[in-house]
Amino acid sequence: MALSSLCSALRALTVSSISTRTATSQVFNGSVLNTALLSVWPVNCSLPLSRGFLTTATLGQNRTLWKQTDKYTIRPIGVKKTGGRDFTGKIRRRGIGGGHKQRYRMIDFQRLRHELGKEGQEIVEKVVEVRYDPCRSADIALVAGGNRKRWIIATENMQTGDLIKTSSAIGRMAVLANEGDAHPLGALPVGTLINNLELYPGKGAQYIRAAGTCGILLRKVNGTAIVQLPSKHQVQVLETCMATVGKVSNVDHNKRIIGKAGRNRWLGIRPSSGQWKRKGGWAGRKIRPLPPMKSFVNLPSISAKA
Amino acid sequence: MATNCRTAVSPFAYSVPPTGLVLLTGTQTLCKMFKAAVNSSLCPVVKDLRVFAPRCLSLSAGLCARAPRPKPRDVPQIAGLERVSYAARMHYVPGLAKPELPPWERGWKDPRQYRSPKPEQMELYKEKPCYIYNQRTNPLEGVRQALWLTKAKLVEGLPAQILSLAEDPANQIEDQDVRVQNAIRHARFWDTTERRPSRERFCPSLLHNLLHLCGGLQATHPGLARRMLADKYSLAASWSRGEDLFQVRGQNGLLLNCMSPLPALAGQEEIQSTADHVLETFYPISPTIDLQCTHVYEQKNSIGFREDYPYPHAHTLYLMEAGNTPPLYPEQLRAKMIMFAFGNALARARVLYGNESKVLEKPIVVQSVATNGRLFQFVVFQLNTTELESDSGVKNLAWVDADQPLYDFAKIRPLIKKKVVRVPAGLSGYQPDTFKKFLALYLHGAA
Repeated sequence: MALSSLCSALRALTVSSISTRTATSQVFNGSVLNTALLSVWPVNCSLPLSRGFLTTATLGQNRTLWKQTDKYTIRPIGVKKTGGRDFTGKIRRRGIGGGHKQRYRMIDFQRLRHELGKEGQEIVEKVVEVRYDPCRSADIALVAGGNRKRWIIATENMQTGDLIKTSSAIGRMAVLANEGDAHPLGALPVGTLINNLELYPGKGAQYIRAAGTCGILLRKVNGTAIVQLPSKHQVQVLETCMATVGKVSNVDHNKRIIGKAGRNRWLGIRPSSGQWKRKGGWAGRKIRPLPPMKSFVNLPSISAKA
Repeated sequence: MATNCRTAVSPFAYSVPPTGLVLLTGTQTLCKMFKAAVNSSLCPVVKDLRVFAPRCLSLSAGLCARAPRPKPRDVPQIAGLERVSYAARMHYVPGLAKPELPPWERGWKDPRQYRSPKPEQMELYKEKPCYIYNQRTNPLEGVRQALWLTKAKLVEGLPAQILSLAEDPANQIEDQDVRVQNAIRHARFWDTTERRPSRERFCPSLLHNLLHLCGGLQATHPGLARRMLADKYSLAASWSRGEDLFQVRGQNGLLLNCMSPLPALAGQEEIQSTADHVLETFYPISPTIDLQCTHVYEQKNSIGFREDYPYPHAHTLYLMEAGNTPPLYPEQLRAKMIMFAFGNALARARVLYGNESKVLEKPIVVQSVATNGRLFQFVVFQLNTTELESDSGVKNLAWVDADQPLYDFAKIRPLIKKKVVRVPAGLSGYQPDTFKKFLALYLHGAA
């Protein structure tokens, strides 16, 4: 097909048909072929319209094509390791490489995802299985509700057979928060431990997903809620953002002992360089004041009101 | 030369240089154009690679390890104000719009390149979806889901008539235990020149050996001659439960067909007493989970054979779980047995009584045996009613005998722990009762 369009395009440049065209810009006194090339540039409707043809081709590397899928599935997907290399092939992050093969299970971070035709209702799901996930420090849970199954980040005391609830209602009274349930921040009582926090409503959980972490809901201030993250930073988000109640599973993750260099290599961590610089400044405890509270709420500015 | 410089630099320079610039000397033009090309934001290859430019026209999309760009916005089409496209130029020109080209048609039918039409354009498209249970379905809730779908009541253990058939000494084969053990040894050890046959090999081999043994009883039981084994037959049965349509479809396994139907196992009192039984639901999981939901379907009811087939009644369905496509746990295997036994019975009922929903005076019985090479599952399904829309009323009956091992171990190498042989090599732990039940199910209806 590319060949036929190439032929039809070049057929337009035959010597016999040059005389029928008028060249508007005769810049160079070149050969006949140059004249033919230039004279194609003005619009000539007698040529057959055909799709342009590519003279290049892609290399067909499946570097990130394994994760370009729109359809959600609970089946684990084979992962291609990058080794810390970027698209140019050079190392961009040192110390990554090797390690056990991993399969990626697509986690649904947006808890409030309704099935088709059931928007607006409360979602009740049953925990089918809680298992280890090689791609993250937390455990994951397979939950099933209605006609669909999905993977979510498991909370601390989640067992097989539990029922978990996801609702988007914000009432005047705060909801009795059961561990594993997901509610908007406006519906939770102040002081609850939360995880899988959304920053923007509907975007999906982006914060507090690691093993054993939990945030604290500090205050609720007219339409927004202030949450303290595990790093003690404080963050202000809209009260319609969803969060799950409880601590993330695998609480003793930070107490594990690697034990040997080989275990680090199994995790895909290559050895660091070991060069010690006295003035590096990275080691040691840092004591400094908290940064100001970050607000993810677009409040109207003072200048806009004036 | 000026001519050469123009054609050489054309891939990089995107603007036609004005005539005045071209009249400069060749090398100066070359340097200026190259610098212009380099300094433009459209040529990131030469620039610092750590800056990701939004457009990377010199690198093809396959080389960039980034997520695909979001699609550009829909340009509104205003008649009379269409944008000028580069269609007439026949090559890409920056600044002109991409032309609307007609979709390319091959012109002839290539069987290797076929794009199926959208579901909405297919002939069998219907608005109401249908949930299909096929041979690859792996139901989450297993037997409970199958019982809800078939409106059946579960009874543990095989019915009394079949158990009495199993115990009757007149129905035994001579040297039954020895011959069965030899059959197991043949399937598990002697079938190949390799050390260990795979499950895909020994599971069907064992089943065929056992069927061959049972078929040897034709001398004493002439009724066994009026039967036929069929493989790779396609079943289709459709019914509706509540507001949803369900279908059972697919090639499931070996079917033993009979000239005469099986007698009903449960009496009328037992059938009427099932009307009080409440079907078990599993909130919040819907009973249609893991079933194939499709809008393109045909409501077909077919037993898989033509009307003039001399063995029209389905007797026993033999399912094999050989670990391939896809592997099933015993719970899910029992669900598959129940569903396909029900499908066979329902298809037979549709042939006899048409599509009307009613309680059957003569219930239809279909048996099923499933194995994974060692464990046997027995299911006897009795279809009492085709009124499946509502949850109340007379229910169907399913007798399930689960996880009967035929033997415990068939090892090539003995299991030795701390220099003591725990499990010897060869066949060990043979259970004779399992084969008696297998034989009883085979002889049911003819003995």
